[in-house]
Amino acid sequence: MEINHLQAPPGFTDTAAAEATTEEYYLNMGPQHPGTHGVLRLVLRLDGENVQEVVPHLGYVHRAIEKMAENQTYLQNIHLTDRLDYLSSFMNNLGLCMAIEKGLGIGVPERGEYIRVMLCELQRIQSHLLWWGVLGMDMGAVTAFLYGFKEREMITDIFEEVCGNRLTMNFFRPGGSSADVPDTFLPRVATVIERLKRALDEYQTLLTDNIIFQERTRGIGVLSREKALSYGCTGPVLRGSGVQYDGRKNNPYSIYERFDFEVPVGQGGDSFDRYLVRMEEMAQSIKIVQQAMETFPTGPYRSKEFSKYRIPTGSYFSQVETARGLLGIYMVADGTAKPYRLKYRSPSFSNLSAINEMAVGYKIADLITIISTLDLVIPDIDR
Amino acid sequence: MNDIAFPTTNAIGDLVRANFPASSAYIINGILGIAAVLITVALIPVFLVWMERKVAAHFQARLGPMRVGFHGTLQSVADGLKLLFKEVLKPAGADSFGFFLAPILPATASFLVMTIIPFDHHLQVTDLNGGVIYVIAISGLSVFGILLAGWSSNNKYSLLGAMRSGAQLISYEISLAIIMLLIVLVSGTASLREIVLSQQGTVLDWWIFKLPGLGLVAFIMYLISSTAELNRGPFDISEAESELTGGFTTEYSGISFSMFFLAEFVNMFVAGTLTTTFFLGGFLAPQIGLGTVDLLFDAVPGFVWFFLKTCFIIFLFMWFRWSFPRLRVDQLMELEWKVLLPINIIVLVLGAIFVAQGWILP
Amino acid sequence: MGVAGIVTETIPKILDPLPGGRHLVNGIEFIVGWARANSLWPLVYGTACCAMEMMATGASRHDWARFGVEVARATPRQADLIVLAGTIVEKMGNNLVTLYQQMPGPKYVIAMGSCSISGGPFYYDSYSIVRGGDRLIPVDVYVPGCPPRPEALLYGIMHLQKLIRKEGRHNPWKVKEFETPPCIDIHSNSKKEWVEIETQKQAGMTTARERFKAENPDYVPYKAVRRPKDKFPEVPRRPVVQSGLANQDIYAIVHEVFPEVKQVKQENTDAENDKKLTSETLLEFAVTKDHYLSLLTLLKTHATLQMDLLLQVTAIDQHDFFHILVHLLSTRHGHKIFVRCPVAGEQPEIETLSHLYRGAEWHEREVYDLFGIIFRGHPDLRRLFLKEDFPGHPLRKNFKDPSRIVKRPY
Repeated sequence: MEINHLQAPPGFTDTAAAEATTEEYYLNMGPQHPGTHGVLRLVLRLDGENVQEVVPHLGYVHRAIEKMAENQTYLQNIHLTDRLDYLSSFMNNLGLCMAIEKGLGIGVPERGEYIRVMLCELQRIQSHLLWWGVLGMDMGAVTAFLYGFKEREMITDIFEEVCGNRLTMNFFRPGGSSADVPDTFLPRVATVIERLKRALDEYQTLLTDNIIFQERTRGIGVLSREKALSYGCTGPVLRGSGVQYDGRKNNPYSIYERFDFEVPVGQGGDSFDRYLVRMEEMAQSIKIVQQAMETFPTGPYRSKEFSKYRIPTGSYFSQVETARGLLGIYMVADGTAKPYRLKYRSPSFSNLSAINEMAVGYKIADLITIISTLDLVIPDIDR
Repeated sequence: MNDIAFPTTNAIGDLVRANFPASSAYIINGILGIAAVLITVALIPVFLVWMERKVAAHFQARLGPMRVGFHGTLQSVADGLKLLFKEVLKPAGADSFGFFLAPILPATASFLVMTIIPFDHHLQVTDLNGGVIYVIAISGLSVFGILLAGWSSNNKYSLLGAMRSGAQLISYEISLAIIMLLIVLVSGTASLREIVLSQQGTVLDWWIFKLPGLGLVAFIMYLISSTAELNRGPFDISEAESELTGGFTTEYSGISFSMFFLAEFVNMFVAGTLTTTFFLGGFLAPQIGLGTVDLLFDAVPGFVWFFLKTCFIIFLFMWFRWSFPRLRVDQLMELEWKVLLPINIIVLVLGAIFVAQGWILP
Repeated sequence: MGVAGIVTETIPKILDPLPGGRHLVNGIEFIVGWARANSLWPLVYGTACCAMEMMATGASRHDWARFGVEVARATPRQADLIVLAGTIVEKMGNNLVTLYQQMPGPKYVIAMGSCSISGGPFYYDSYSIVRGGDRLIPVDVYVPGCPPRPEALLYGIMHLQKLIRKEGRHNPWKVKEFETPPCIDIHSNSKKEWVEIETQKQAGMTTARERFKAENPDYVPYKAVRRPKDKFPEVPRRPVVQSGLANQDIYAIVHEVFPEVKQVKQENTDAENDKKLTSETLLEFAVTKDHYLSLLTLLKTHATLQMDLLLQVTAIDQHDFFHILVHLLSTRHGHKIFVRCPVAGEQPEIETLSHLYRGAEWHEREVYDLFGIIFRGHPDLRRLFLKEDFPGHPLRKNFKDPSRIVKRPY
């Protein structure tokens, strides 16, 4: 981890500015650093406290999921998607299941779709709650972290009751889900929704309205609309930069087209915009869950099971809007029980690639805030 | 003044003086005083660390330490013992002399300030005429420790943290000194004991209320500057765990880290005691003008009141820390030079006018 | 021998023979053990999923502060405990060893979750995994689960506290050194012991079973009944909601400029006939290397298509050649286009797209890393995920590295 002062580490474009009057230096951040959310490694070129250039280094948790996928059957692959972006494991499951359903040409019964949508939206709230807490902690408000987790645990309880797991769900199957939801599902969701509405107000007071918080995020880490598109950013990062694109609205999957919800969009593309977009998304997700609760149907929760899933030769693509952005699953099948190639297009990967555009010119403390508002999950980047 | 109502000597000192010749009694009393301060310095963090953890835990809807002693009362004892028996590492390339000297300086500074704090009317190691100036001079010593720690650690994070801290401490010391000057101005003395005695009477005679409006403003300014001076949240940019891993303490382990840890909490205590002394009437019991209640309050020893008031101030410090996000380094400087300092100078000028015009509550 | 050595070795040696000296030493040891057990400051170290459960353990409901595990330190110098939360991969291995060495003794390690115990779900077929944290650093307590619940981690911590309290002078206060050098399989050594324990257990169980039978002669064991399997209906696919331009229209626009560009033939759709392009069809254009860049430039700049977002650039190994796959999306309309371009050779080359879409830079680096395809004109073509000295390109079908990959036996 030693970095030579005089020699520029790999990846830096502009190593010595001629007009620089102060001595610049390189700082290694990570892979074990509390501000980088896991094992991301950044090398910074700094002028005092000012960030001049950021070079991310990836691969510190590259687990070869895509290679493993080629040696496992389609159903075995579902559990690996949990471990990509473990905060949106339902949505990752859903993505792969939809790709397999496309290949097999099977449908999903109404109740199955409702279960999927409700669980995914609850998980979006859960993921955003964690992000909110961690953002607070990165900015020094440790209490926010614990408040975020407090509400998160309640949603985790629902998941545990539904599928027996807290984090890695492995719950959806091609054609529905592996089990039905218990009878207590709807009443529990209703209780949690009520609690969440109050909690969101609490969060407003604790962080959003705080003047220090606003000073720290407004006008910081600006990502323009063009840059966001050019780097392929998706999700709240793209929407924070003012592009109205949400996979649930623009390319509706499952039964999202039936629900009435809005896609919040930011104006300036700074950290505060990304923050507000996510906060609003939580409110919108609550709205979707409430609508789904009203019309929650009875009936079978999945369609006919197959003894073996063999997908005809061809390529299949499905996409889901996870809490972080657009997860694309590109599957090449060769007629056997195992995929020939399975490629996950992970949202965090592209979102992180724009970090240099966002962080240059701001302070180290701002860099931490920017990373936090990108809401990165490193295993999702490294796969 | 007031030597009869508030004697400066206490029973132990008198006992020593009665039984030993004057010259040796002088030395023995000095040693006893230093020992008392040392024990206080050692015990205060034990209590404060536990208090901080419990306060933080209950703010955050959890319990905090529960397993050792009643509600985790022995937690900080366990931490201290563990740190004592931990390996002390020195990173390769670090400067030995500076690296091991640095942790001693902040602890020494806080220890030295403790010697002139009037805990009660007869509980004070020594009462300097220029006590306030002594406080300002000595508390500057901790900056050296922090800068030295950052410089000698041979670590960029340490260096960044130390530089931030140095800039911050030096800036906020100015605000702090101006408010102290205001108190010296209105009370007419620079001795801490006499500043306390100048607040005799009811609660309204404390400097926070005695200067109408101005006292409260000065109190708030003093509280903000102290928080910054303590390197505590929301001004903890020098440690800023999520940015600089550990700031200037990044490379310190075991006992040398615990010295910083200790100094932080003793400093917090000192800041609390100074605030109490300047604004909240020090060891004086709160008199609210009701005969029986006043008598009852008066019966409680002065140092109990002193500790209660100090704990209240410390609770405020903890409240700040666990509620606010951290400021950025440039915002911190802006706050000091563009906001706090002008306000403080205005407060000082107004204070002079108040004194000159006699606009002080009777 | 430094100061620590005097405290830990010389003083006990002097005290031991004195009358009551042994009790004094034991007493001090008891107190120190108590302090260490109740003040375990963990290092902020989490690589993957388990880190979330570790955070949950620290959060309000489970609150590991109750056990004195409160002050999570970001710097290893002040930490006593590493919780190996998450997968450890080869690239992280060196850093983990460094972190462990940077910690002052005595230091403890909890392996949390299957990945840090044995590699867990990534044991087979993975070319980058370290199969167990104990191949790098000595582990004290293993907490199984994927991920373990917070209660399990708390149990692991309590177990570690029990172990620390038992630590005497013989398992001493002095700094723990590396007992096993890195990367040695300690499982094979412990296998014999495991077999022994298992045989003993089996023998014990047999006697217990016989005794139970003798005591309860009329006991009828409970017979498990399998729940009848649910019957599920066959459900037809719901029609896909069409968004953006229709596939035929896009095909027509592209075909107008590049008549030789064809839809990739697929089994489930008879794409040779353009009119059969339905909304379910994946729109994939097969393009040759010559037209690759010009087609993508057209797609990006075309006024009606407006493919403004590059979703991914990836490759598919077709055994004798590679397919470069570019995936575009129009955020305004919502339609997607895939472009496939075959490249061949041992060191295949193709033009870079990084001047069209900045995001392509990293995608191309990934393809270079995992497939070994070179992108001409790329500003910074380095490996992205793997170490610089990693042999070969692992996502190629012919990649073989028995030193890294354990083949799945089923």
